[in-house]
Amino acid sequence: MQFIVQIATLGSIYLLFSLGLNLVWGSLGILNFAHGVTFVFAVYLTHLTLGVARLPFLVVLLLGAACGAVLTVLLQVLVFEPILRRSPSIHQAEMRILIGGLGFSTIPLAFMEHQTKNLPFGLDQGSFVVSPVVLGSFRATNIALYGIGLAVLLGLAIAVWLARSRGGLALRSLGVDAPVAGLMGIDRRRSALLAMALAGGLAGLAGVVYTYTLTALTPDSGDLLLVKAFAIVILGGVGSIAGAAVGSLVLAAAEVSVLTFTSGSWVDAVSFSLIFLMLVLRPVGLFGRKEVRRT
Amino acid sequence: MTDFFASNLTLIQATFVGFALALSIQVPLRLGVFSLAGAGAFGLSAYATALLVLKADMPALPALAVSVVGSTLVVLLLGLVVYRLSGIYLAMATVAFDLIVGVVALNGDPLTGGSTGLYGVLTDFDVVQMIVLLVVVVVVLAATERGRTGRRVDAVREDPELAASLGVNVRRYRLSGFAAGGALGALAGGMAVLTRSAISPPDVGFSLIVLALTMIVVGGTRSWAGALIGAVLFTWLPTLLTAIGEWQDLVYGVIVTLAAIFLPRGIHGVVLDAVRRSRRRPPDADGASAADGGPDVPATEATEADRAAEAFR
Repeated sequence: MQFIVQIATLGSIYLLFSLGLNLVWGSLGILNFAHGVTFVFAVYLTHLTLGVARLPFLVVLLLGAACGAVLTVLLQVLVFEPILRRSPSIHQAEMRILIGGLGFSTIPLAFMEHQTKNLPFGLDQGSFVVSPVVLGSFRATNIALYGIGLAVLLGLAIAVWLARSRGGLALRSLGVDAPVAGLMGIDRRRSALLAMALAGGLAGLAGVVYTYTLTALTPDSGDLLLVKAFAIVILGGVGSIAGAAVGSLVLAAAEVSVLTFTSGSWVDAVSFSLIFLMLVLRPVGLFGRKEVRRT
Repeated sequence: MTDFFASNLTLIQATFVGFALALSIQVPLRLGVFSLAGAGAFGLSAYATALLVLKADMPALPALAVSVVGSTLVVLLLGLVVYRLSGIYLAMATVAFDLIVGVVALNGDPLTGGSTGLYGVLTDFDVVQMIVLLVVVVVVLAATERGRTGRRVDAVREDPELAASLGVNVRRYRLSGFAAGGALGALAGGMAVLTRSAISPPDVGFSLIVLALTMIVVGGTRSWAGALIGAVLFTWLPTLLTAIGEWQDLVYGVIVTLAAIFLPRGIHGVVLDAVRRSRRRPPDADGASAADGGPDVPATEATEADRAAEAFR
């Protein structure tokens, strides 16, 4: 039974983290290599704030989300927008966006490594306690339950927003054909900034939940998580929210099984092999849409 | 000169290894194939070379040759499997391959030495042999950058359909690019283990990909000279940056980000533009600068823009 709790906890964090990556990749065609560092840096800034102030859980969550959102908006304005302005098309900008993201991510990473001397840092408890909750044969912490709730709620909210609202429609149309969407009167810059801010905010939230539920972070914790998020996005299909949810659960289930039944050091190979198998067998992913270029 | 050579031997060796590694990403890229499999080949070949020297007592060069051929075959096989992918999806598939090589190295304990890796790979391999190998590589690559082959390579990258309609076998060119990337990565890996005498899982990880990409983006993506500029810069920069000391990584990040934004063709592209401008300056000074088309336009398009600008006047 504990098995299921572990999968749900891990899966909810994966979903929160990969949703933003997926959204930005599917709508703007940007593969953001700084997404992992955003996750860690949001936690780091929250960690510094909690060192001087005791805050309720909701405020801590919002703080993490705000830090993540600000960092990705900065990245978009300072790096991705100039690169896109200087490239004839998004496909020709692909590699420069990748490098720009990598280069930008080195900056907060180097800052954190310098400040923390590469030691792990966690989050202090504010004016709330992390307490165990027992329901029959299930055992979890209250924060893990909040995390699962948040992932389900936000996943649903974003899916509905994308499908029903005008802003969501604008974002989806960018994923299909950005120049034509621009001609239809969609403010491409505003939509892109909104998507980036949302992605960064989700990464920050994922960071706070992750740190309270699983373990402390080191500055480079984001790298591995980023590769896992790639696996989830490719498994589920770029741009698909349902795909991200299924992908997160599948990856979490696969990893928890590997951790339970083997010595554990093979666990990272799961996500790498998933990326590889999926790209070879079905490049559009489980829930992929046809109109977005993939192969 | 010899003093400088002796006291900086490690850095010089690292420069050459970095050069071959950067080429392993750049060569497929010149054919429009965004393959990062060279980093995986680096790992395969580094471990293979170390094992051949340690377990089979082979001399350096035969061990290197066997590892390079073996790793290239593995990468070619990978290329056949992932051929239908392109762009960022191909990049992700090859990154997955690279990371799997790292996990296997970490877990293949009796053979690969687990997290300690393999050490004590001592041979008579020296810098002269390295230079000879790389000169051969550069001569071959320079031949693919000019004349008929050069134009075909450009066509396969810029417009595969057009290239195919002109009778260029696009599939063969792309697969050769993929395999050449593997061979160069394998060469880099083999040389790395022969000069450092040790290899461990962190040496074949994600950082290799970042390093190689950084080198060619800052140096230049279209010519071996760009890879060399990048390799020299990013091997020597850390020693020059010791003045900045603990903030070195941060400065590094800023440089890479700025290069990605402002130098789409790298330092090599900037140098080429400067040379072209200085040659053209005398007859028509302001026409030349107007016709340059800015640094954003790739080489082939720059010349077209020039012609268009002239026709306009």
